[in-house]
Amino acid sequence: MSAPDVARKDFLAASRSRSLWLVATLLGLLTTVVAYGYQGYRLGPRETVIQLFMTLGTVFALLLPIVALVASYMTIAGERESGGVTLLLGLPNSRHDVFLGKLLSRLAVVASGVTFMFVTATAMAVTRHGVLPLGTVLGVFAVSIVYTAVFVAIAVALSASVGARSRAIAASVGAYFLLVVLYVIPGVSVAGIVRFVHRTMLGFERNVNLYNAVTYTSPFTAYRKAINLVVPDGREQQVFRRMAENADLPAYLGDEVSLLVFAVWLVGPLAIGYLRFEGADLL
Amino acid sequence: MVAIRTNGLTKRFGDVVAVEELDLTIEKGEVFGFLGPNGAGKSTTINLLLDFIRPTDGSVEVLGIDAQQDPAAIRRRVGVLPEGYGFDDPLTGREYLEWAIRTKRADDDPDELLGLVGLTDDAGRLAGEYSKGMQQRLAFAIALVGDPDLLILDEPSTGLDPNGIQQLRSVVRERAESGTTVFFSSHILSEVEAVCDRVGVMNAGELAAVDSIDGLRDSAGGAATLRLTCATPPTGLGVESLSGVERTTVEDHTVVVDCASPAVKVDVVTHVAERATVEDIVSETVSLEALFNDLTAGGRDDGETPTAEAVER
Repeated sequence: MSAPDVARKDFLAASRSRSLWLVATLLGLLTTVVAYGYQGYRLGPRETVIQLFMTLGTVFALLLPIVALVASYMTIAGERESGGVTLLLGLPNSRHDVFLGKLLSRLAVVASGVTFMFVTATAMAVTRHGVLPLGTVLGVFAVSIVYTAVFVAIAVALSASVGARSRAIAASVGAYFLLVVLYVIPGVSVAGIVRFVHRTMLGFERNVNLYNAVTYTSPFTAYRKAINLVVPDGREQQVFRRMAENADLPAYLGDEVSLLVFAVWLVGPLAIGYLRFEGADLL
Repeated sequence: MVAIRTNGLTKRFGDVVAVEELDLTIEKGEVFGFLGPNGAGKSTTINLLLDFIRPTDGSVEVLGIDAQQDPAAIRRRVGVLPEGYGFDDPLTGREYLEWAIRTKRADDDPDELLGLVGLTDDAGRLAGEYSKGMQQRLAFAIALVGDPDLLILDEPSTGLDPNGIQQLRSVVRERAESGTTVFFSSHILSEVEAVCDRVGVMNAGELAAVDSIDGLRDSAGGAATLRLTCATPPTGLGVESLSGVERTTVEDHTVVVDCASPAVKVDVVTHVAERATVEDIVSETVSLEALFNDLTAGGRDDGETPTAEAVER
């Protein structure tokens, strides 16, 4: 069991990467500026800060996947391309140790970055408004960490599945499009595609709940729903663009389901990535 | 006791057969040289031993442990200098070495190992900025961590200067004397000759020969070459009709005669001396290099005339 040794070396190396420090600084600046400039409309200080963190959540929904993918896509594919993997596996590390160690290290790296963004935003918000709605801040922070972890898991899994840098880049960009972008642009959204197949091609009756359920399979949607779990009652956002008329939201579209979606996206890619790495010729 | 055993080991990459039906046994305590031209399947075999790649067929056992079953257990007792490693993390040479020592749960003194491979003065520099030869020294130091039972070295002298090669050899000899089994690959014959008890010669994925250096020399038979320089061009002497003569060629005033055994030489000299004035006689025993070329047919190119280039590259 030497995964901690793999992780420690990887984390040490990452902590010396100038580009990672640069990115962290820029992100910290971004959250500072957003927190400074944010002004709620006719809201008290407490409500303003809550609103600020919900807005940050909307930004993070798009941003954190990029941070996680960029920080992690090379972690194993890069070692395979450069030959670092032969040093790793020439020592008493199993492939399991390498995979787990790399995952742990990248989780730590990205979690540090996310923490930094929250610390800067919180510090600025408290300075400006004098209040700290701790529950909401910690809640959004926790959900953001889980959301980022999902994309780190996806990136590490992709990185373990391919043997070269170029393919790791392609896979990461593809993952971002499939899991985030396709849920944002109205014209080509996943829900729109499903609706088209369901109604126009198969001739079924319109079923909004079904389209929403398909949308819910994305960690992007799950993140926005999960934020509803941690904001004060009454502040929840309606994540789905269309809702079924005069009907209660079915249980499978409830905010809690987001945790299940996260769990599936954490475990599934890791399992597939590990199996592919375990069975591969590494040279 | 057996250090390495392969049974019918086969590795194909698509249509290319890199290693075919390899049966190789290396006893504990041996220094085994694994020879062959580029592309003969040496590194593929080593990568199979270390479970970097998986066999298409057959099995590999290292120190009695199946390479696929428990590679980490093997790596605890083996020191590896792999081919194509990369020091791409921004860590110093010393940090890499300390990481290796910690990972191996060993208690080596990093300074001692750095001194052994001649890196003391550069230990504080980033390993990624080392020259190829310095990286090779560092990789060798990492292989030595934890005094392993078996050293697997893939082309260890790559990039080393003569001084470095000398150091490497003396460390390998030292470790071998204290009981370490050494398995190393090379395409340089002299290197293998200098330190190995036994050699295996790979060619085109198959084991062409396994023997001691002396055994290989013997198996090349008495094959010997005579060069007789005469006062007049020695043509039409009928040397080739003598029994035991394999080939004759005439170059200017010199006739070159390949003999099947040393005993034939006397007949040749007598025969020629009766018909021409012999000015000089040069006798050469078969060189290992020629033998190596014979065994590998000049490498993958399969050329008609094996050249020394295949050996030197």
